[in-house]
Amino acid sequence: MVETFQQTFGAPLWLAVVLASGLKVTLILVGGSLGMMFLTWYERRAIAYMQDRRGPNRVGPQGSLQPIAEAIKTMTKEDTTPLEADRVVHFLAPVVMLAATVLTFAIIPWGNLFPSDLSVGVLFFVAIGGLHTLGMLMAGWGSNNKFALLGGMRGVAQMVSYEIPQVMAVIPIVLMTGTMSMQRIVESQSGFGGLGWNVFTPVGFFAFALFFVASLAEGERTPFDIPEADSEIVAGYMTEYTGMKFAVFYLANYMTNLAICFITASIFLGGGNGPGVNELGGFLGGFLSLIYFFIKALFLFFIMVLIRATVPRLRVDQLMGFAWKFLLPLVLVNILSSALWVAIIRWDQQAQIFTQWFGAPGTADAPNFVRLGVAVAVTIMINLGALVMVMGLNNRASQARMHTTDEELALGL
Amino acid sequence: MLKTEELRINIGPQHPSTHGVFRMLVTVDGETLVDLKPVFGYLHRNHEQLGEVNSYLQNMPFTDRLDYFNSMINNHAYARSVEMLAGIEVPERAQYIRVIMDELSRILNHATALGFMLGDMGAWQTALLWGLREREKILDLFEYVSGARMMCNYARFGGVARDIDDYFITETRKLMDGLPHYFDDFEGLLTNSEIMLARARNIGVLPKELALSYSVTGPVLRASGVPYDIRRAEPYAVYDRFDFDIPVGTVGDVYDRFLVRIAEMRQAYRILEQAFQQLPEAGGGHINPKVKQQSLKPPIGEAYARVESPKGELGFYLVSDGTGNAYRYKVRAPSFINLTALADMCKGYKLADAMVILGSIDIVMGEVDR
Repeated sequence: MVETFQQTFGAPLWLAVVLASGLKVTLILVGGSLGMMFLTWYERRAIAYMQDRRGPNRVGPQGSLQPIAEAIKTMTKEDTTPLEADRVVHFLAPVVMLAATVLTFAIIPWGNLFPSDLSVGVLFFVAIGGLHTLGMLMAGWGSNNKFALLGGMRGVAQMVSYEIPQVMAVIPIVLMTGTMSMQRIVESQSGFGGLGWNVFTPVGFFAFALFFVASLAEGERTPFDIPEADSEIVAGYMTEYTGMKFAVFYLANYMTNLAICFITASIFLGGGNGPGVNELGGFLGGFLSLIYFFIKALFLFFIMVLIRATVPRLRVDQLMGFAWKFLLPLVLVNILSSALWVAIIRWDQQAQIFTQWFGAPGTADAPNFVRLGVAVAVTIMINLGALVMVMGLNNRASQARMHTTDEELALGL
Repeated sequence: MLKTEELRINIGPQHPSTHGVFRMLVTVDGETLVDLKPVFGYLHRNHEQLGEVNSYLQNMPFTDRLDYFNSMINNHAYARSVEMLAGIEVPERAQYIRVIMDELSRILNHATALGFMLGDMGAWQTALLWGLREREKILDLFEYVSGARMMCNYARFGGVARDIDDYFITETRKLMDGLPHYFDDFEGLLTNSEIMLARARNIGVLPKELALSYSVTGPVLRASGVPYDIRRAEPYAVYDRFDFDIPVGTVGDVYDRFLVRIAEMRQAYRILEQAFQQLPEAGGGHINPKVKQQSLKPPIGEAYARVESPKGELGFYLVSDGTGNAYRYKVRAPSFINLTALADMCKGYKLADAMVILGSIDIVMGEVDR
């Protein structure tokens, strides 16, 4: 884009850079908030359909302008601050939340149309993803409200538990593709006629499932919407916010979810890759890739909506137990099996190393599909074994707990 | 160890999940609940005093406002108590109509109560709205037969206000055709969900002895393993003619209460089927024509009549001094008595559990505060 400004409009370099980044930031900010508006409408309509209701259907065609009406409503509402609140912290919290969220949009590869390349994209995402916890804690503390404080504390506890499985779930992909750049990760999935997505490998599938579950917690989606559990602590850390500040929290929340969907789609579902993208090429291919990308992200968001419409919320201690006792072991095992996967797939390279180090005979290079088959079998076995084992252990633990309760009951306690 | 401090929180009177204006004064240590003090009375509106000022019939619409989910059952209980006081005969057909309305109310109440409970648990309204959908259909029937959806004011001394006709019967049968499917849907939604099990099993355990000593009744008591149901223990109306089971739980936790309520909906469906089969043979009109509704003056005496409301034992105690209004009028409200066990059920669990436990008791503040 910088080159375009330089060549077409003859702008000096500094002006081109400023203009290009300004344009990008504006696009992301406007697109993100419009996307969030669309998402709220989409979610409400989808959930309404699942619940035998109609959902918003009055403003605009199919109620699609409802979010705009609501934006006007929130903007015209009175903006209040509690008397005893820490005014600065209270004011800054939504800003921090939104800033952290918007930053994650910087690394999303928008199909092949607007490539953005950061060599440590994945790392950037997990680092920035942890930042909006700060906003949550600031809101909880600054409001001087007990519900808000509980919500903020819950939020921090949740994030601390879930960042780790989330980060570690991406490591297999980094190992397999050998890069942290989102653009490269997407490019590496363009094989097999655009269907060489990471999710189709056993390691990638497990990583996808684990990453998505951990991301649900990061985006405060049901069953992990504990920091803002409306039936328990009113609205959690948002309790004391009204008007536009509340809307900013809401915006940040949905933009986080949107970003999570986009990033999961890029890392695991092949980003903009799909049948026909490489064949078409050029602008048309780029456009098609953008459409693929949006469809995948919306599909992921639909899963989030489906989960939200169905399951209850976990309790805060159960949530942490789930993160530490269930997700973390599985994620660690997945890293191991992804290492095996890489070793088996690139056996010919390993063989040379073995020959160099140990003087072992250079093994016959087995054909590709045999190596692939062995890799699939080994990783599936390891991962499924780990899943069964961890589930068994967790079940035994919960049954043991139940047993003691029964005994207590028998004693009449 | 860090020095920690207990936190006192007022949950309510304005709170999304306290089921009305109810306040829980909660002391938490982190997330663990140390103490809970229920505070109620915000909705007090002098119901019992009004009952002593009004004439007997005038009080009938006031009973609608007690447990506003089941006005049919409230009417039935109050009418039964006056009938006992004045020695009024009720024709068989009227009894059957009352039973049909009671069991429809039971389905309605349990469907919404479970929906609210799951809503408290965080299931985003799906279960609740499915329950409300069925409730809506039943309320339409009530509206057809009594003229009002919620405040039915349907029972009269010695019968019911209007007879049911063929349209009502066909519509109810049509509704009932869909009910088993609805029960299966509702059960299939979350019953075996891992999260539901984690949130409900062994939470809010109310042991049998404790439940009995609190004189808890209804599904909460039955979930604790006591097969006590007034329809069986002291059959009123024509309940002795039906074949139905009394579902009981084993542990007395939230999950048992959930299962017991679903099973009770299925039993209510069974009773309804039998009632509709037996209805054509039932003799007598819909009301005893000899009773003077407006100027009823029961002889001096007292009476206590109770029915099995979906929330527990609903009883009306009346003392007559021979005049046109009661000398003493007392309501034994099941929600109120069940609520007293809340603190013992909640202690030691997490703050989030307190909401679920409250939801599993199924209270209506209109009845608690009267």
